[in-house]
Amino acid sequence: MSNFRMWEVFGKSLDGPFYRDQNEYIIKRFIPIMKDVIKKYEIKWDRETVVNTDDKFADTVWNAAKEFFIRVGVYHQNAHRVMEFSEEEVNEVLESLEPEYTVGAGHDQRRLGIRSVEDGVHRPFHLFSPDANFSTDIHKKACMAYLKEPLLDGLCAPLLEDFMGRKVTSNAPTEVAAAMEHAMNLRDAQRLVGRPDVYTVSVGTAETDQAQIAAANPSWGVRPQHLDGRMVSILTEMTTNSQMLNKSFHYRSYGNVFGNLAGAVYGGYAGGIEGTLILQTAYAIEGACLYGSIWTLHFPFHLRWQSTTTRELLWLQSVLSQAIARNSRLSFFNNLFANAGPGTDQVYYESAAHALAIEPSGGHPWGCATCRNKFTDRATPLESRFYHETARASFRNRISREKANEICIKLLEKYEENIPIDNYGKTIQEVYDMDKIVPRQEYLDQFKRMKEELAELGVEYPY
Amino acid sequence: MNKIIQLREAVVTGDSEQAINIAKELLESDISVKDVVDNLTEAMQELGEKFERFEVFLPELVVAADAFISAMEILKPKIDQEYAATGAAKKPTVVIGTVSGDYHEIGKTVVGLLLQANGFEVVDLGADVDHVAFIDEAKKHKADIVGLSALMTTTMPAQQEFIKIAMEAGVRDKFKIMIGGAPTSREWAEEIGADGWAFDAFEAVEVAKQLAARTA
Repeated sequence: MSNFRMWEVFGKSLDGPFYRDQNEYIIKRFIPIMKDVIKKYEIKWDRETVVNTDDKFADTVWNAAKEFFIRVGVYHQNAHRVMEFSEEEVNEVLESLEPEYTVGAGHDQRRLGIRSVEDGVHRPFHLFSPDANFSTDIHKKACMAYLKEPLLDGLCAPLLEDFMGRKVTSNAPTEVAAAMEHAMNLRDAQRLVGRPDVYTVSVGTAETDQAQIAAANPSWGVRPQHLDGRMVSILTEMTTNSQMLNKSFHYRSYGNVFGNLAGAVYGGYAGGIEGTLILQTAYAIEGACLYGSIWTLHFPFHLRWQSTTTRELLWLQSVLSQAIARNSRLSFFNNLFANAGPGTDQVYYESAAHALAIEPSGGHPWGCATCRNKFTDRATPLESRFYHETARASFRNRISREKANEICIKLLEKYEENIPIDNYGKTIQEVYDMDKIVPRQEYLDQFKRMKEELAELGVEYPY
Repeated sequence: MNKIIQLREAVVTGDSEQAINIAKELLESDISVKDVVDNLTEAMQELGEKFERFEVFLPELVVAADAFISAMEILKPKIDQEYAATGAAKKPTVVIGTVSGDYHEIGKTVVGLLLQANGFEVVDLGADVDHVAFIDEAKKHKADIVGLSALMTTTMPAQQEFIKIAMEAGVRDKFKIMIGGAPTSREWAEEIGADGWAFDAFEAVEVAKQLAARTA
């Protein structure tokens, strides 16, 4: 909901229906309503399609998601109540959305806004993000490595795992300090590579509200207003708590162009892929209504593999993107979580499939996280470069959804069977010369070879 | 239809009300409660296997588990009586929760449901659970295993801290400690001295079975 209603929204946690705990809410409210909505709207996947081309179906999904959100509401863990939004309130929020924001400043100023399906005008916003921890001794260099990427419009920087030799621990001083160090490193890195005003989504090292607030400082930390972005989570599933509301209040009062982070679990409470699709689409509406967030980062993931590049999830993200792009002015990113790691061919196949599933569907690319997001130092700008170059090529070539579907099916043939196999690749220190902060020749050769392979499938890269 | 079969169907379809009604009838009957428990455990196990193959999903498992627990609560007096009389071993108990500072519920819920489906007694403490609460509940329920879930890298250290506290509190040898969660790994489990780690909820069941066998 827009800022002038913020306190009315927070007040919903004081008078909504009471549920003893999240489990009761899930069993008595979430599951029955989800089953009913799936049935009513006859949401079904044919299992053959990877990139949806059916506009009517995308519209049906939007309507189902909106009804689901209005009927189910949001469970507040601390208040033990459901925060309910009326249809009128939701419509007011959707109507009052701004279609475009200016982010960053100077020569790194960019426009971030809505796109349409098979958009020929609005290019994707390239948000680079490893979504991974990096060792303290290379953190600033890793930030520089990402910031050197020419296509980068925004960065969600590598996270810090340690502070002064101590593990960063949620709710402890190490988290507050590491969040500050993260922000400082990032500011330094930006100046050192000549991109001082690039839009950064900061700071991932801060999980808690107090650490986010501590890292906010116009001179050395997270900058106010449009200069930086932040994120606030929707907890799994349809759940929030006081910490999250504190974050959203801080972000709004600090003026940031911030987003909500939402990952519906495929195989989780929403059931099969159809329910997961409805839920993930509803999260975009929820973020705007509950937190007043400007954009959503979608990362619907596989319960087992913790990735977003399985066949089902590529389909989900294509429909989700089209449903939102066709029916609202909600801005959103799609998060790439690959199964494989840096330096593997598989990570390139997965990256390309994700880029092609979401770009013609109207989404912005965000990535690339690798190797199920499990390991320190195991992500590099190179696979992100490939991901964003492929999304860019898709836009430049005006690749249709139909064509993207064909290519995605061919790409899935190359990696789908290997998803269960651990293929975690290399660390950034192995792939990059960390003194010069450039990729090693062996990996540049692989990068070139993978682009040639994609070109044979019909993706024409401009360089 | 045989009452046990009816109860099994009520559990599998997640009809808690029906499960309670049939369980009450069974409580008054002379049917061996062991047969009932074995049958329901088998049904839950089958459901867990279907979940592993993604033939059913979490909602089916959640409502079935709810019906299963409802029926077991009704039958508890008879179970205690019969098991005491026959000297049968109690089911292994797992106290499970998400560690302090972490509000994510779903990971440990899935593990808990699958453990239940495989014959474990599960005490779910929820999310953001204090270290001492884990220890108190483990003592109270005579836990064989304590399961610690962490969904964020910044809450992984809480798993390590719990193990240290369990040692200092003199209870480390009273139960086995399993850890899990998206950012965790086998290497992390070894580093902090956990007894078990699993890639996912399905593997967690196998690890728990092995650990329970070691505590028996």
